[in-house]
Amino acid sequence: MRKWFDSRRGRVEALRGIDLEVAEKEFCVLLGPSGCGKTTTLRSVAGLEKPDAGELEIDGTLVNSPTKGVYVPTEKRDIGMVFQSYAIWPHMNVFNNVAFPLIKGRRKIAKDQIAPKVSAALKLVQLDGLEDRPATDLSGGQQQRVAMARAMVTEPKILLMDEPLSNLDARLREQMRVELRKITKAAGLTTLYVTHDQAEALSLGDRVCVMNEGEIIQIAQPQEIYARPASLFVAQFVGEMNFVKGEVKAKDRVDCPLGAMAVAVPDGLAAGTGVTLAIRPEHVKISPAPSHGVATRLGKITSKNYLGDAALLEVEVNGVTLLAKLAGDTELTVGQNAVVELPEQRWHVFAESD
Amino acid sequence: MANVKAAELSALGGATRERAGGIGLFAGGLLTLLLVMVGVPLVMVVLMSLRTGFPGEGGPLTLANFAAVYSAPSTYKILLNTLQFACGTVVVALAFAVPLVWLLNRTDIPFKNTIYVLMIVGILVPVFLRTIAWILLLSPRIGLVNQWAMQLFGLDQPVISLYNIPGMAFIQGVSFVPSAFFMLGAAYRTMDPSLEEAAYTSGVSKLQTFLRINVPITWPAIAGVMVYLFMSAIAVFEVPAIIGYPARILVLSASIFTSTNPPTGLPNYGIAGAYGAVMLGAGLLLAYFYVRLVQHGKKYTVITGRGYRPREIALGKWKWAALAFSFLYLSMEVFIPFLVLLWASLLPHLQLPSAEAWEQISLNNFATIFDFVDALPFINTAILMIAVPTLTMLLSVLVSWIVVRTQVSFRGSLDTIAFLPHAIPSILLGVGLAYLSLAYRVYFPVYGTVIIIAIAHTISWIAYGTRTTNGVMIQVHRELEEAGKVAGASTARVLGRIVLPLVASGIFNSWIWISMLAYREVTMALTLGTRKNVVISTIVWQFWGSGWVPQVAALGVILVLFAVVVVGILKIVFARYGEFGADGH
Repeated sequence: MRKWFDSRRGRVEALRGIDLEVAEKEFCVLLGPSGCGKTTTLRSVAGLEKPDAGELEIDGTLVNSPTKGVYVPTEKRDIGMVFQSYAIWPHMNVFNNVAFPLIKGRRKIAKDQIAPKVSAALKLVQLDGLEDRPATDLSGGQQQRVAMARAMVTEPKILLMDEPLSNLDARLREQMRVELRKITKAAGLTTLYVTHDQAEALSLGDRVCVMNEGEIIQIAQPQEIYARPASLFVAQFVGEMNFVKGEVKAKDRVDCPLGAMAVAVPDGLAAGTGVTLAIRPEHVKISPAPSHGVATRLGKITSKNYLGDAALLEVEVNGVTLLAKLAGDTELTVGQNAVVELPEQRWHVFAESD
Repeated sequence: MANVKAAELSALGGATRERAGGIGLFAGGLLTLLLVMVGVPLVMVVLMSLRTGFPGEGGPLTLANFAAVYSAPSTYKILLNTLQFACGTVVVALAFAVPLVWLLNRTDIPFKNTIYVLMIVGILVPVFLRTIAWILLLSPRIGLVNQWAMQLFGLDQPVISLYNIPGMAFIQGVSFVPSAFFMLGAAYRTMDPSLEEAAYTSGVSKLQTFLRINVPITWPAIAGVMVYLFMSAIAVFEVPAIIGYPARILVLSASIFTSTNPPTGLPNYGIAGAYGAVMLGAGLLLAYFYVRLVQHGKKYTVITGRGYRPREIALGKWKWAALAFSFLYLSMEVFIPFLVLLWASLLPHLQLPSAEAWEQISLNNFATIFDFVDALPFINTAILMIAVPTLTMLLSVLVSWIVVRTQVSFRGSLDTIAFLPHAIPSILLGVGLAYLSLAYRVYFPVYGTVIIIAIAHTISWIAYGTRTTNGVMIQVHRELEEAGKVAGASTARVLGRIVLPLVASGIFNSWIWISMLAYREVTMALTLGTRKNVVISTIVWQFWGSGWVPQVAALGVILVLFAVVVVGILKIVFARYGEFGADGH
């Protein structure tokens, strides 16, 4: 399955060249800040928005191509979609909501097959037994499940989800996150999922596609996105990061307020160029006693934020404040001087203009 | 520490209780006032139906009026006419309103804003002026269209006549379109567009989605609007009086009016009461259904997502057909009536456009208008335009504050009473108040003054006023008020410095709108009218009765232009506060 398109709508370029291919049975997450074009991308796949240029294919079928004059309307596309507001039809009960695509939809099936199909879908989302419940009497989490069942009941070629968890409270959201992945994997569905929540993206996606200003910045597996952000934007958007400005001195040396760092400088950044160095808080090591083998610096702990399983410490080194994430049982306290270790292989180097 | 807190809490609790008592007393007073304002005219209608003779003559209560009215076969003809007229009106109004709601809310029809503004202007063209203009066009005797057709084809028979029930339903239906449009539009906009999109992504066709999703979900709203229009059509007076009465097609409202203001003979309030009781009963019953439907509809409004506006449906080559449809409607509503009035106002007598007619065009009718009318109606109208909205909004703000902001136990009843005038036909309000001021003139000495018209108008629009003030009060989040109190400001200061500035623009908006409604209102002004309390609208009505067509046209043009200028200015001023007078009626 392939799809790619770019779109120019009026003077605002909502999407400036999106090239994305979702593999069969893959769970692909579109991640980005609001207004980055992720929802527009999703809605274009659904046919609810019309891209102005580029081509879009679902399972080898061309569904959109302005140059060839092809536009398959939403109702003729083999898709399922879960909306942010769930869009559960309030005048129908649970059974009718889920059965509606089978009765009136593109894939009408024999009457006697409807009930078993609906039951199977409801069982998958653990709502069996609630068939006769009016849709307006459901809790947010239950509506969410009905929306899932309705989107999956036709076994679509691709399941589209537009921030489906954002209206749930935090605890339910985490619970549904785990279940959502289980359900889509059990049904063997190809999924395109939109979110602005990076934790959601990392835990759900087989692949995560980070977007900004109508462009794809990085597509990779979640581990790759987290461990090797392709740009300063991705580094800022996904997870916590310490940033320090510096200047390239040689192929393997960057000078910054923390001192000279022996780090690998990416190609194309000549000596004298301004760069941003970045390191994750969990890689900043703080200890009361000096250890050997790595460049060590002295710093002073300026704040401590105890979280139970972890503790976030701010430590000041040469006028630079760094955030460090330590195990919760650390005995370091505010005001204490400590040795700060910054392992050189953990540093990322980004061009300033990123 | 804990002890101190407990003590503070109990002290606070005491203060709250004390204040709640004061608010309760105040709310009770307000409820009583509203009950009197709304209830007494209705009681008067019932009372007059049970009495014979002149108002104030007393005598035993009797069912003689009902016997007289409901044994006459003509009454059943009247009821049948009323029913046919009301049904026809609803059909005509929906036939235009439903497509317009869809076109303006969901498609990329050009000139959207202009169409919106012209709909609002349409509300401000008084129904009686529109009716008169259409008579000037379609009357079999003097109508321009008939004159022209007879001249052109050499006919000796008029080709079309407005003097029948379809003609009446047509004019009234066209006049109801803006109300229906704004009511349906509000219902349509509260529907989450993703409900529709969810059907498309389920593979359901556009037609099936419309039939199975849009219609059932918006059905309570559509049914509510239908009931509302039907209720209003039973009660309207202007079209039945101007078209129906001369053609001997009587409906309830015109029968009530002619019983109390007969062209010859003495007024018979008893007979009017017997007709009125039926109208009142039907009105209250329909109002009950209306409220039920609206509540049912609320169940269907669901929490929406971040409000992703649905893609506008591209009309493509149908764009011009859609625009033509809107233009056709606006022509019937605004353009044609205004142009006909303008044409008639510039000529010494009504005639077809011709070289001869062009030579006679002058502003003479405007220049000599004061030979026909003195300053009194203008002064009276100005008094109404200031007093009515001020009184109405004052009451509305107080009622809404109690209903939306306090925990007073009977706040629900207060809201219902304030909404009730919506269901009371203006003709009954007028007749009821007229009876009251005649029969009890010792206690209520306002008969024949402009005050009684102001009272009638205020009662009539308190429903509209409280709906808008409820709306603006709900929009001002309770926390804003509480934040003020937490910051140490007194209740009065919170009201004055936080709540009032936030609601001021909304209230001013309604003030202007009610002022315009008072300006164009004729039914109540006429039923309560004497020679002393004439207003501009009743003067036009009298001129029409006397057959002074050029003067009617000249005053009508002035009336419409003034309204358009006022609304035009406010539209510009209020551009940043959203739609002006959006749900007025």
